[in-house]
Amino acid sequence: MHKLLMVIRREYLERIRKRSFWLGTLLLPLLMVGLVVVQLLLADVETGKQRKVALVDGTGRLAATFMSKLGEEKNKDGASSYSVEVVPVKGSVEETRGALEPRILSGDLYGVITAGDDVDATSNFRFYARSVGNVFALKALQRALRESVVGLRLEKSHLDVGAEELKKLLAPVEMESFEVKEQGQAKKRGFDEAYFGTFAFVMVLYMALLLYGVAVMRGILEEKSNRIMEVLLGSLTPDELMTGKILGIGLVGLTQMAIYIASVALLRLYVGVAALQAGWTGALDTISPSKMAYFCIFFLLGYFLYTSMFAAVGAVCNSEQEAQNLQSPLVMCLVVPMVMTFFFVANPDSPAAVVASLIPLFAPMVMFMRIMILTPPFWQIALSILLLIVTIYFFFRGVGRIFRIGVLMYGKRPTVPEILKWARG
Amino acid sequence: MHPLESAVSLRDLVKTFGSFRAVDGISLEIPRGIIFGLIGPNGAGKTTTIRMILDILRPDSGEVRVFGLPSGKQVKDKTGYLPEERGLYRKTKVLEMLEYQGAIRGASPAQARREAAGWLDRLDLGDWKSRKVEDLSKGMQQKVQFIGAILGKPELLILDEPFSGLDPVNQDVFKDLMLELNRGGASIIFSTHQMETAERLCKQIALINRGRVVLEGPLHQVKARFGKNSVLVEFDGDASFLQTLPGVARVDDYGGYREVRLQNGADPQAVLRAAVERVIVRRFEIVEPTLHNIFIEQVGGQTHHA
Repeated sequence: MHKLLMVIRREYLERIRKRSFWLGTLLLPLLMVGLVVVQLLLADVETGKQRKVALVDGTGRLAATFMSKLGEEKNKDGASSYSVEVVPVKGSVEETRGALEPRILSGDLYGVITAGDDVDATSNFRFYARSVGNVFALKALQRALRESVVGLRLEKSHLDVGAEELKKLLAPVEMESFEVKEQGQAKKRGFDEAYFGTFAFVMVLYMALLLYGVAVMRGILEEKSNRIMEVLLGSLTPDELMTGKILGIGLVGLTQMAIYIASVALLRLYVGVAALQAGWTGALDTISPSKMAYFCIFFLLGYFLYTSMFAAVGAVCNSEQEAQNLQSPLVMCLVVPMVMTFFFVANPDSPAAVVASLIPLFAPMVMFMRIMILTPPFWQIALSILLLIVTIYFFFRGVGRIFRIGVLMYGKRPTVPEILKWARG
Repeated sequence: MHPLESAVSLRDLVKTFGSFRAVDGISLEIPRGIIFGLIGPNGAGKTTTIRMILDILRPDSGEVRVFGLPSGKQVKDKTGYLPEERGLYRKTKVLEMLEYQGAIRGASPAQARREAAGWLDRLDLGDWKSRKVEDLSKGMQQKVQFIGAILGKPELLILDEPFSGLDPVNQDVFKDLMLELNRGGASIIFSTHQMETAERLCKQIALINRGRVVLEGPLHQVKARFGKNSVLVEFDGDASFLQTLPGVARVDDYGGYREVRLQNGADPQAVLRAAVERVIVRRFEIVEPTLHNIFIEQVGGQTHHA
């Protein structure tokens, strides 16, 4: 036990003392927060200035409504976000638009909207700009255009509708989504919110499993190539060395997770009140203590499962290049559930999701996703954890045998069937 | 010898790798308190045998006992091991490296630190304690490795080719340390293919070739078994005649002098007479065969054809 502790101690201290650990640990949350802040700031700057749009109106009757509608789009200081220049048609609509192109390119105009003379024709309305990627701007322009065009259409059909009524008729039909967890506890939560919250955590889980798995593998490869392995095995059993390494590095991972969760908890404390006021309870639910506990459980189980396999790869290879090939199936096992997050989040109760969350290789990520979205039946969570623990037990035994033989072998890497033969002992 | 008096006792040890029998039925009693030489050519099975003593490898069959105990965890605590393939964590500080090595042999980190610091001071590495291992010269790293093996005053010290790659100054430092530890009561197993060093240091030897013990016993007995039928000749002139003399088994040319092995019953005086007739003899001495010659005689032919 003393020896095992000493190995854990070394592996832990060695890594936690490194500057790169602290940089990585502190930088990632800072980076995430920073990205959000920068985006908000940039968006603020962008929306702050007024955009000039030209309207080339083939019908000759849209301008007034369009301008008044677009005038309703205000930025934060209450000034209009858009100014409209109505360009009279000279020749055809297309010719007029063509003449405006230099002004778009020079930046004088944000964009040009053209309307053909037949409001019922398809592709009658067009928007020309240097960049059409700003969804908010497109939506605002479309809204204004829609109301003015519909007004025109109603008039054409000889329906007399007042401006107020028109607005009512055009009011969008919005559907709010609620999550039913317990009776009487339905929570307002949109898909976007559920998806992004889950995706962020799954991403962290994926990166942690991969990074720490590779760290264990690298550690073993280093001991092999430094020729320190045999020195250590003079004092330690292979099991002590392997277990100590996996536990020590796992502890480093837990430390990192603890720091992340602590920052999330702080965030929850500070943002919590504001979020509640804004009715933004979904986000708070995403970082509830029980979910964080599951996060730690599935991180640990996934960590033991994957690092034991990464340790085996390290033990049988002599260089990182050699290890590259052998580790790729492991990486695939981690990537598949990650890229399928969208599917699992959308269908957390589908048979595919249930089965995947019980298969030990995928369970840590898929079961965690399901827990984030809905509360799966308890027996499924329990079975998933049980299967993981049993698998980890057998993996550790097999990998222990591979380790014992592999670490003192230099030269040709054994084939996969050979490795499996060692594992059976 | 009774096994209880042995530091290490090996019974019919066999280890195969695939179809290769690395150790092919080795039985040995290595007494306590002496420097024991495990000698043999490269690939003879010395390292494999050592690894089985330390439970780094498990034998296919046969038994290992260290101080009467079956090989395993307790044995590792009593044993200091300097493998032939030895290394250090390059990015770790010297004192931390040694602290770890001491700690995994059972000491508390503080204890190990204190002991390691003492050794570092003694071996003139006191100023390098908090430097990274990679900053050290090769010779300094070798000293650190040696300290790592002897931390915790092990009862049994296993040194696999300890002198390979050492400069003469460090060779002497290591040799003196070995003798000092031995006087302090440590049993030492010393594996090497350098016969001269083995001859100078070891009280008892076992010669291993192709996974088997070819020859074993106290050094003087081994030598006596080969009789005083070697002759050392130093002279000026053409030496080719020596090979043709009746009763001469083999001639080894050492540049300055030649060692002549005689067949059993051959008369050294006849060699002297023949030599005096042909060359100017400056030195003529009847000697015990060197370990080197015994070694060559026992394994030379076989290894060359292997």
